Amino acid sequence: MVLAKDAVTPEGQVLCGAGTELNEELIVKLRKQGVLVLSVKGRPVRAPGEKSLSERLKELDSRFAKVRRDPVLRALQHLIGEYWVVEEKGQEFLDKLKKETR
Amino acid sequence: MDKAEIKKKLNDIESLPTLPPIVSKLNEMVADEDITAVKLGKVIEKDQVLTSKLLKMVNSSFFGFPQRISTVSNAIVLLGFNVIKTLIVTSSIFEVMQASDVGLFEHSLGCATACGIIARIREIKNPEEVSTAGLIHDLGKIVIRSELPEEYVAIVEKAREKGLYMREVEKERLGIGHGEIGGMLARQWNLPERLVFPIEYHHRPEVAPEFKEIAAIVHFSDILIRALGFGDGGDPWVPGLDHSAWARIKLTRSQMREIIAELDEKLVELQDFTLDIKVEG
Ligand SMILES: [Fe+2]
Ligand SMILES: [Fe+2]
Repeated sequence: MVLAKDAVTPEGQVLCGAGTELNEELIVKLRKQGVLVLSVKGRPVRAPGEKSLSERLKELDSRFAKVRRDPVLRALQHLIGEYWVVEEKGQEFLDKLKKETR
Repeated sequence: MDKAEIKKKLNDIESLPTLPPIVSKLNEMVADEDITAVKLGKVIEKDQVLTSKLLKMVNSSFFGFPQRISTVSNAIVLLGFNVIKTLIVTSSIFEVMQASDVGLFEHSLGCATACGIIARIREIKNPEEVSTAGLIHDLGKIVIRSELPEEYVAIVEKAREKGLYMREVEKERLGIGHGEIGGMLARQWNLPERLVFPIEYHHRPEVAPEFKEIAAIVHFSDILIRALGFGDGGDPWVPGLDHSAWARIKLTRSQMREIIAELDEKLVELQDFTLDIKVEG
């Protein structure tokens, strides 16, 4: 796992820069120095109870059921969906997907 | 039930926590022209619990303030008295909400976060004020829930049964929506109009007599956070967009991408945010 953002203490002191490769030892060390949150690149693990991408996209679609005729909101729905797809599968996957559906 | 009855109900509100006595003292102090942030900060800091709650709020990711704020007077200087006062006035409401309706609590925090991000992109002078408006935009829902519990249950049930927006059923049953109700209470608490109007008009921002841009940002942030499915606003539907309000804040596609990415990241941090505070010492 690689840090997506600097590891900082609640006081704002930067202990490790973005891009640092993480291992258990380092995580324990950061924790001891007061770091509460680490942001890592990608979605390396699924939290317990977290929904799959296709479930999330389906629910996204149903939330928009009452505003389907609104072009701005339709664009918003697409942008959110694309963001989730890229986050989980990468930009190339989305590009491929877009080509196929064209 | 009609407007007058609801207004009366709000006047002798029972189950919502009353305003902390410190608020009227602060209001008096602010009326005094020679008052400084340091003096105000000192008064607030006498209350240790309130102080730690306040500092936790101002340092949380929904404000997204870059540096750490460590004293109340600092918070007043950096975020402005409007924000601090609103946080003091509403802190007890948020405790009630966190305990009784976590979904709405999360919805509010998420909306506040979105407001801050958009306000910064729009280069609004005091983005924290817009965040604060977002934080309390659904105040009216809390009021209905705690002051008119039977109505509340009936509204939720009918909305679910018929697949309607909560707001539609509120109008039908109470003759008034949660926006207006929230606005009434905010006004009763003497919150500044920059916050009252955006609460009152967050579902129809173009009707706001003033501060239309703040109202428009709250309006769109509410839509955005519902679209992302973070928290629970009572019904599962993305609210309709007011296109004049959209024209007012008009965000480009690439700005929208930026906002979604930043928001998504901040929402992860928000998930562990609670108001429970252990006071040490
Ligand atoms: Fe609302
Ligand atoms: Fe809302």
